[in-house]
Amino acid sequence: MTIVTYVLATVVGLAAGFAGVGGMLGVGMSWRLPALLPLGGVSLVLDPLAGVFLAMIGFAAVPASLYALGDPRQARRGRGAYLLFVGAMAVVPLAGNALTFLLAWELMSLASYMLVVHDREAREAIRAAWVYAVMTHAGVVCLIAGMLLLGTWAGSFEVDAWRVAAPGLAAGSRNLVWTLLALGFAVKAGVVPLHVWLPLAHPAAPSHVSALMSGVMIKLGVYGLIRISLDWLGDGPLWWGAVILLAGAVSAMVGVLSAIVDRDLKRVLAFSSIENVGIILIGLGAGVLYHAAGLPALAVIGLTAALYHAVNHTAFKTLLFLGAGAVVHATGTRDMEALGGLIKRMPWTTACFLSGAVAAAALPPLNGFVSEWLTFQALLQNLLIEQPAVNLVFALGIAALALTGGLAVACFVRAFGISFLAVPRSDASAQAHEVPRAPRLAMTMLAVTCLALGLGVTVIVPALARVGTDLVGVVGTLALGDALVLDVSGNFASLSVPVIAVALALAGLGVFGGLVVTGRGRARPYETWSCGRMLQTPRMEYTATAFANPFKRVFDFFYRPVQQIDIAAHPASRLFVQRIDYANPTRSLFDDWLYRPLLAGVNRGVRVVRVLQSGSANLYLTYILLALLVMLVFA
Amino acid sequence: MLRQLRTALRTGVVTEPGVPAEAAPLEIVGGRLREEIHRRFKRSLHIRQVDAGSCNGCELEISGLIGPHYDFERFGLHLVASPRHADCLLVTGPVTLNMAEPLRRTWEATPDPKFVVAVGDCGRDGGIFRGSYAVVGGVSSVVPVDAVIAGCPPSPAALLAGLLEAIGRRP
Repeated sequence: MTIVTYVLATVVGLAAGFAGVGGMLGVGMSWRLPALLPLGGVSLVLDPLAGVFLAMIGFAAVPASLYALGDPRQARRGRGAYLLFVGAMAVVPLAGNALTFLLAWELMSLASYMLVVHDREAREAIRAAWVYAVMTHAGVVCLIAGMLLLGTWAGSFEVDAWRVAAPGLAAGSRNLVWTLLALGFAVKAGVVPLHVWLPLAHPAAPSHVSALMSGVMIKLGVYGLIRISLDWLGDGPLWWGAVILLAGAVSAMVGVLSAIVDRDLKRVLAFSSIENVGIILIGLGAGVLYHAAGLPALAVIGLTAALYHAVNHTAFKTLLFLGAGAVVHATGTRDMEALGGLIKRMPWTTACFLSGAVAAAALPPLNGFVSEWLTFQALLQNLLIEQPAVNLVFALGIAALALTGGLAVACFVRAFGISFLAVPRSDASAQAHEVPRAPRLAMTMLAVTCLALGLGVTVIVPALARVGTDLVGVVGTLALGDALVLDVSGNFASLSVPVIAVALALAGLGVFGGLVVTGRGRARPYETWSCGRMLQTPRMEYTATAFANPFKRVFDFFYRPVQQIDIAAHPASRLFVQRIDYANPTRSLFDDWLYRPLLAGVNRGVRVVRVLQSGSANLYLTYILLALLVMLVFA
Repeated sequence: MLRQLRTALRTGVVTEPGVPAEAAPLEIVGGRLREEIHRRFKRSLHIRQVDAGSCNGCELEISGLIGPHYDFERFGLHLVASPRHADCLLVTGPVTLNMAEPLRRTWEATPDPKFVVAVGDCGRDGGIFRGSYAVVGGVSSVVPVDAVIAGCPPSPAALLAGLLEAIGRRP
């Protein structure tokens, strides 16, 4: 039964993926069932933008389901919710009216909630699921309010009617609707400071689910932001784009800074997802700003960069989560300080994880590099907008993107180096074994996809640019170079990934060949130098905490680390130390300065309101009478 | 403050006059050392110092080499932090029992080609500690020694001269 479910999910994923590619290439489709539900019934519309996201969902669901097939015992619990999750996600981008959208959105949230409480005995998972449920429903409240307002003012709950009616609405009401919907989507996308659920929920869910949550579900928040900023609400003011760009810049930096110090492998990946959503939003913000400033050709480039990074992030983050899942499966721990030495025990997983890490660190010739490059090219042309305030926003975006790129490399060097290289730090890691064939196949597929998305940039970028053109409505086509070279805005910048790949491969071969030729017979294997010590133990290795410490010091205004040293001395003399406990935890800025005061305020408010509920039936009858009187007077 | 200024002005410079650069024996030895190093090693000679149970007298003299007076880095010599980077091991002390194995490991960890210089009377044969129950005795009883710089301790100038001899003796 479990196997049937996951095979079904694979088939659904394949179908959705191919339908999505079809939609992306311009196959329009719409399907209505007005009688099924009130408020307009079910309405599904396939357009190019929906196609991109549908393809992402479908093609990410295939390896995730394959991965689950490799471990049927673990994946048995929650298989129904998984199927519902994949199905609901596939409906979200297709939704053609408010009810269909909200219904699919809520089903997706509920199904993923079920999957987060997968391990229902673990206190951590229960807390994660609780935070996730509260946050996601706060987001849904914003979405419902925004869509009801928009539907009322536009006179219809159909998306097509919104497009027609939106330009006629007052600026204030459009801004209000945009703000409400943007808040709702930002929660799902994990935009800082609404990201707190993400690092809790993703590690708690089983790996094939966290791969989908991180790889695809949060992208649907981005999808919503694209829709409201460029499609449903018509042309917006400049500040919409500025808000998106700045939120992206903050998310990117906060995400990567948090990822760099965390010890939990899956939480590192979850924080990295926040970072990548930030990068996507920087591209999207640039696109929206250019659109508002009347530069549609540049808006298409910004939007293309955002879509391309979204696609790339789906590929490499799904891969990384599946790789982390394989590690957890083999060792039983997510703590990087207990891993190490996996390269000799799980070579296949290590190779796949490494290619995902290289892509996530935006190194050529893999896909992450290309889309970050494109984002930079979109940002760097901001001087064509002659407004100093807007240029400043762009400058901040460029600086944030550059800093993020550098820190992401450090983050993945740490995640890969500490987890996979050197000597095992624990028995569990020493006894690790390679995962079965199905997960290996899933990871290999994704690794190949990462490489293909990087090398095939001249095919993919024009296709995504067509989607952007369709949305922004620019006349004519955008020249993006020939089969080998990608050109941005004529002669502004160009990039040829295949040439870089060939150059890198030749340089690597040259170095390797040179070593083989000159160093033959001169290498002498000898143990690692340990200052002449007799014993070499894993405790002498570089730890994840030590690697992160310089960052903790440089950015201590962000981490606000606390030193906790506890020394237990021998009863006879304090000079004989028996045990030293050292901890250097960081404190979350957002918990301390945003959520704790907010929750304390809510608690105080609730305590006041509780006075109403005294438990006396007589009092309640009085309330009913009063309410009735008020209704009679005012109605 | 005025009093301090007056004292400073009255006292003047009290450091010893420097030796003319060309005439000093140090410069002559150093110059030859530089030529020899350049001839044999193309660039510079990297030295890892190993204390195999020394009283630190030799270390005091070796650290004098890095100071401003001798400043042996100008002759192309360089003290490094790991045997992995070294061409030469400078070993002091009457190799104690506890340091015998680490010394052997350090020698193993140094890439070939390499040479070992034993420094001080202790390094030569155990010095005044020879025959003690706690020492192995002499660097050459643990690793092959290419040159010995005797003295208790050898002065920095003697160290430089000894290094020159050691390099000159290299095949």
